Amino acid sequence: MSDTPILSIRDLTAKVADEDVDILKGVDLDLFKGEIHAIMGPNGSGKSTLAKVLAGHPGYEVTGGTVTFHGDDISELEPDERSQAGIFLAFQYPVEIPGVSIANFLRTALQARLEEGEELDLFDFQDELMARMEMLEMDPSFAERPVNDGFSGGEKKRNEILQLAMLRPSLALMDETDSGLDIDALQVVSRGINRLHEENPDMTVLIITHYQRLLNFIKPDKVHVMLNGRIVRSGGADVALELEEGGYEDYRTAEAEAIAEAEAEAQEA
Amino acid sequence: MSDTSTIDQPIGGLMEGITDAFNASAVEAVSGGEPAWLANRRTEAWSAYERTPLPTTRLEEWRYTNLRKLLKLDRLGFDGVSLDAAVATGSDAEPFDLAGAPEALRAAMEADHAASGHVVEIDGRIVHVDLDPELASQGVVLTSLRRAVADHPDALDRHLATDALPASRGKFQALNAALWTDGVFLHVPKGVRLELPVRVTRYLTKPGTAFFNRTLILADAASQVSFVDEGLSADFAEQTLFSSAVEVIANDGAQVQYVSLQRMGRGVFHLQQQRTLAGRDSTLDTLNVALGASVARTDLNARLLGPGANSDMLGLCFGEQGQHFDHNTSQDHVAPHAKSDLLYKGALDGNARSVFRGIIKVHKNAQQTDAYQTNRNLLLSEHARADSLPNLEIEADDVKCSHGATVGQLDQEHLFYLMSRGLSRDRAERLVVLGFLGEVLSRLPLGGVVEKVTRIIEERLQHG
Ligand SMILES: Nc1ncnc2c1ncn2[C@@H]1O[C@H](COP(=O)(O)OP(=O)(O)OP(=O)(O)O)[C@@H](O)[C@H]1O
Ligand SMILES: [Mg+2]
Repeated sequence: MSDTPILSIRDLTAKVADEDVDILKGVDLDLFKGEIHAIMGPNGSGKSTLAKVLAGHPGYEVTGGTVTFHGDDISELEPDERSQAGIFLAFQYPVEIPGVSIANFLRTALQARLEEGEELDLFDFQDELMARMEMLEMDPSFAERPVNDGFSGGEKKRNEILQLAMLRPSLALMDETDSGLDIDALQVVSRGINRLHEENPDMTVLIITHYQRLLNFIKPDKVHVMLNGRIVRSGGADVALELEEGGYEDYRTAEAEAIAEAEAEAQEA
Repeated sequence: MSDTSTIDQPIGGLMEGITDAFNASAVEAVSGGEPAWLANRRTEAWSAYERTPLPTTRLEEWRYTNLRKLLKLDRLGFDGVSLDAAVATGSDAEPFDLAGAPEALRAAMEADHAASGHVVEIDGRIVHVDLDPELASQGVVLTSLRRAVADHPDALDRHLATDALPASRGKFQALNAALWTDGVFLHVPKGVRLELPVRVTRYLTKPGTAFFNRTLILADAASQVSFVDEGLSADFAEQTLFSSAVEVIANDGAQVQYVSLQRMGRGVFHLQQQRTLAGRDSTLDTLNVALGASVARTDLNARLLGPGANSDMLGLCFGEQGQHFDHNTSQDHVAPHAKSDLLYKGALDGNARSVFRGIIKVHKNAQQTDAYQTNRNLLLSEHARADSLPNLEIEADDVKCSHGATVGQLDQEHLFYLMSRGLSRDRAERLVVLGFLGEVLSRLPLGGVVEKVTRIIEERLQHG
């Protein structure tokens, strides 16, 4: 592990582009090469917003703070440039794109990563696609089906992992890849992620989840708790176990106290 | 809705569209040397044309296509060569020299996959026909309409501009029936199946001119055939009229696919009238791909005449700056237990405009009808516009019918998803548009057509 984090987030604030209120209210986070982190937090706390902001979603506007990736400020980069730089987002709700087959789309995505004039080897591509689909226990016919069109929840999530496998990012943001999966699918998906991490131990993974059960399969180096647009606690894998026991109540109380304190201070001033 | 010709119009509407080029003597000129039945049919069609006023936007079917503004009938020339003259100059007797053909025509033909036969039409005249000899020996007829007049008079007398597209159906149906110069006749005898499509390529070279062609496809019982009809031209500075009348008749149990691939240049006003008659247990599918022309109006009337008949009606258009498309369809259920399923999609960039008007008509006796109609439009620019007017007219009570229409923009979430995988915005947009339109093509995956259309749209998206 090197001393400089591959992803470094400082006091990041962000809002929905055409609204006023910040959703992210000062996020600080450092991810080092090869680490696996988990972010947990109640519904609406801003986890997906953070993931989408990192991937460059145009619907959000960064209002303050910095994000550096491999040492570079990425705040001005388009989503495709971030992807090319090595960021991958597995969507919480993957969208359905009618008429665009998985194979065609992945081929285009991989071709886009090559230098001008370089051509993707279609045989190698096909071989790898088939091997990866087998790893994820996906039927080969999926390759020709339109992206997510009519897929079940579980199929959509496998499809996200398939893309992760094919695109080989240096940073994988996994937004609730486990939700909606039955226990068998959960095992297939987490085995897939572990396998990819073994193949490429430098890959850094940020897992967003509500459930400890995923973390039984994928062992995180660090667990963070996000509440109301901030990371309010960071620790080892035991943090997830604490949450399993006590829920978010303690954090909420602590936050409410902190807010009251801040307000009181503001009034005094 | 009724045929315009059956409405008696006030005197003010009479004699419209009669010009230096379109007049009774032009009809006389084209019919020179023709048998009486045909010459009479032309004359009758001409008087129907004279009697029928030019449709105005007050008619529901022409509400969004203003012919007074868009069609310059009085500036168009017409050279109707008579049958005598056509035969005298050799017509389809001379071998066609593909190497000497205009570049675009050659490219279109070379891009095609194998075929059962080819027809080439240039400026409204058939210049080449070939047909697999094996099929010819089984009785398949593929020939120019001009030749068919001489060689297959009975079939033509019976079916040409009678059952499917008689002059009484409207002003332009009448004009075409009066002035057609040539076209294609295809007859597939009972039980004969053509594995490869018949490919027709039509090309225009003369600006400022009106061209009229007809196509008659007769598929006898239990036969099978697919027909790909491609039209191309250069861009023209002067308006050029290209009128096509297509009659497709599928008898009991026949399977027919008709594909129109419209790639005319700018300046072309394309008027396309199609009528399909589907007999008992037949399958009669159509695909209309509209990519070119400045104005393209397609009327498609699909009649389901026999129980068990099935028609898939597919269409797509891709339009850019300065293009106007108008699709007017009807699914006409006459017989019970028949099914029709329509899907038309359009993607429009620049200030392109499209109109879709579709009606499902279920006649009183057509119980157990399944009829569906979907029109979806994607606007790629804020200046593009799509109007969608779906309609139902149901007289039977035991039917399953649905219709739906949407007009929308590119979905930003779709683009973000693709871009987050490394596709540039342009590429992502192209992929979404192709996927959107590709759904139509995937429903009629005829050899070569999907690839060709995809490539053309891809190229245009790249340069747009
Ligand atoms: N595009 C948007 N428009 C309006 N509000 C939004 C938008 N995106 C997020 N929000 C709001 O921001 C807050 C955080 O949402 P976010 O999706 O990031 O939460 P989350 O932590 O991922 O929740 P969950 O666990 O339910 O997935 C919520 O209150 C949500 O309603
Ligand atoms: Mg979320």
